[in-house]
Amino acid sequence: MGYLNNQVVTVDAILTKKGRELLAKNDGSFRITQFSLADDEIDYTLYNPTHPSGSAFYGEAIDNLPLLEAFPDESQIMKYKLATLPRGTAKLPVLDLGYSAITLKQGASLAITPQTLNYLGNAQTFETSGYSATVSDVRLFSTFTGVGINTDAANAANLSATTTLGTNVSKTVIGTQINLRATTVNTLFGSNTQISTTITVVGLDSGARLTIPVTITQTN
Amino acid sequence: MSFKRLDAEDFVVSSDSITSTLWSTDSPTITEFYTSSVQQAGSSGDFYLSVYQTSSTETTAQVQFDIAYADVGGSGSTAYNSAVPANTPSKSTYGQYRALILEDENASFYFGTGNNVITGSNFWVISIERARYKESLFPGSLNLTLSGSGLIQLTDNSKDVSVNTFLGTSRVYQLVSGSNGSAIAGGGYVANSGSYGLVFPELGTILLNPHAINQSIGVTADRTVGLANGTNNSTLFTAINKGESFTLNSQETITSDYVFIRARNSEFNYTENPTFISGSNGEIIYTDFINNPQTYITTVGMYNDSNELVAVAKLSRPLVKDFTKEALVRVKLDF
Repeated sequence: MGYLNNQVVTVDAILTKKGRELLAKNDGSFRITQFSLADDEIDYTLYNPTHPSGSAFYGEAIDNLPLLEAFPDESQIMKYKLATLPRGTAKLPVLDLGYSAITLKQGASLAITPQTLNYLGNAQTFETSGYSATVSDVRLFSTFTGVGINTDAANAANLSATTTLGTNVSKTVIGTQINLRATTVNTLFGSNTQISTTITVVGLDSGARLTIPVTITQTN
Repeated sequence: MSFKRLDAEDFVVSSDSITSTLWSTDSPTITEFYTSSVQQAGSSGDFYLSVYQTSSTETTAQVQFDIAYADVGGSGSTAYNSAVPANTPSKSTYGQYRALILEDENASFYFGTGNNVITGSNFWVISIERARYKESLFPGSLNLTLSGSGLIQLTDNSKDVSVNTFLGTSRVYQLVSGSNGSAIAGGGYVANSGSYGLVFPELGTILLNPHAINQSIGVTADRTVGLANGTNNSTLFTAINKGESFTLNSQETITSDYVFIRARNSEFNYTENPTFISGSNGEIIYTDFINNPQTYITTVGMYNDSNELVAVAKLSRPLVKDFTKEALVRVKLDF
């Protein structure tokens, strides 16, 4: 992975692994309809509001940072989304999934009901548009669905089937509740007794994001 | 909100014609030509001769173009089977190009126009490798020097014609004496032998008229029945090799999808970046950021309706965003 030339401002665009998969499906699912912005790679602790040279220099340690090229793996990029919030916001929305990590036995089920803290003046709330949940390796689940949101986007996400042969592919669902059921397929484990992946949950209104590890343990 | 819907006017589809150097040397002209004795001696050598930009044993060697010879009666090569003497590689090649270009088994090739036309009962073929010419040859860029009893520089006549001509469904230009798409004074034809050949940009193919070339520089296609296969291919190769100059560019159409990403002044001024907050309760790290937050855009993510990240763009350096700034980023996706 190389650095981009930051002597001039350019934009380096690529399709993600998911994008290439949807393009290959040729079923219209590759249609770009919305965007989001992120500040991956930025460390705000480098911002210095007490810089002796004044406010023009507060961001000098960030302004000219050379950035890395884009990663094609959708789970490795767009980690920290920028959010649109009212001016004067003192606390940023934070997601609470009720779990900091999940461990499931083969065939076991779990429902996750995310909540958002510090959003729109509420200490704790459910977001109206729901939550998107992305699993990095969908093969680990026999069921991975979202329920509770009936928008076209949510229905499209929840209905889309992902068929993979031999490699891991992410899957995104939308809902107020995310239902998981661990796979019963033994071959995925190989010689291991556990396999793991991550689930990233994003509040669709707030942009708040939380990633937790998921481990499936073999029972047979 | 962290997602923003794109409007119809945020998308622009543009098709741009891109021309570039054609040869593997990344130079418009190659001056050295090599063949492979292995290819020449193999079964494909009966039909065509592959030409490389460097010695074929080099790891960087790549086929630049192939030379073939075609004869309507099968002369100039050896029969597949002596029981059917007229069926030869040169006849097969003639039929191949007749079917491909003329799209009629009873049609004939003609070199030249107007009163100076000759029926092409035999011809050489220069077939450019597809990976070299990409989508088509770039008309006006062809300059091929052949050497025999003298030198002659050939080009297409694309800059001399105002209306494109087609053979079947293939755009065609006459191969004439001249340079850079323009014939020399007088039209660049050979008296009573028509043009020097035909150029088909979309097919990456150049047909050469042996009558005109023979009359001009004495390079002859041997129409002896039963002639050893590959003899005529080598004849043209020698003329090209001694000419030491073959200039040609490629042309392709790149369809680009431009997406305009617009962030208004009131949008995207806060971030979920963990370094933007302190502690686990979401408090913003600096009190200055409460009323005057400042974020740095590094990445643009493009999503479908299912919130799946299908394309991503990275900026080469962070773009500052706050309540006094608006950002417009143009993302170009090529297909």
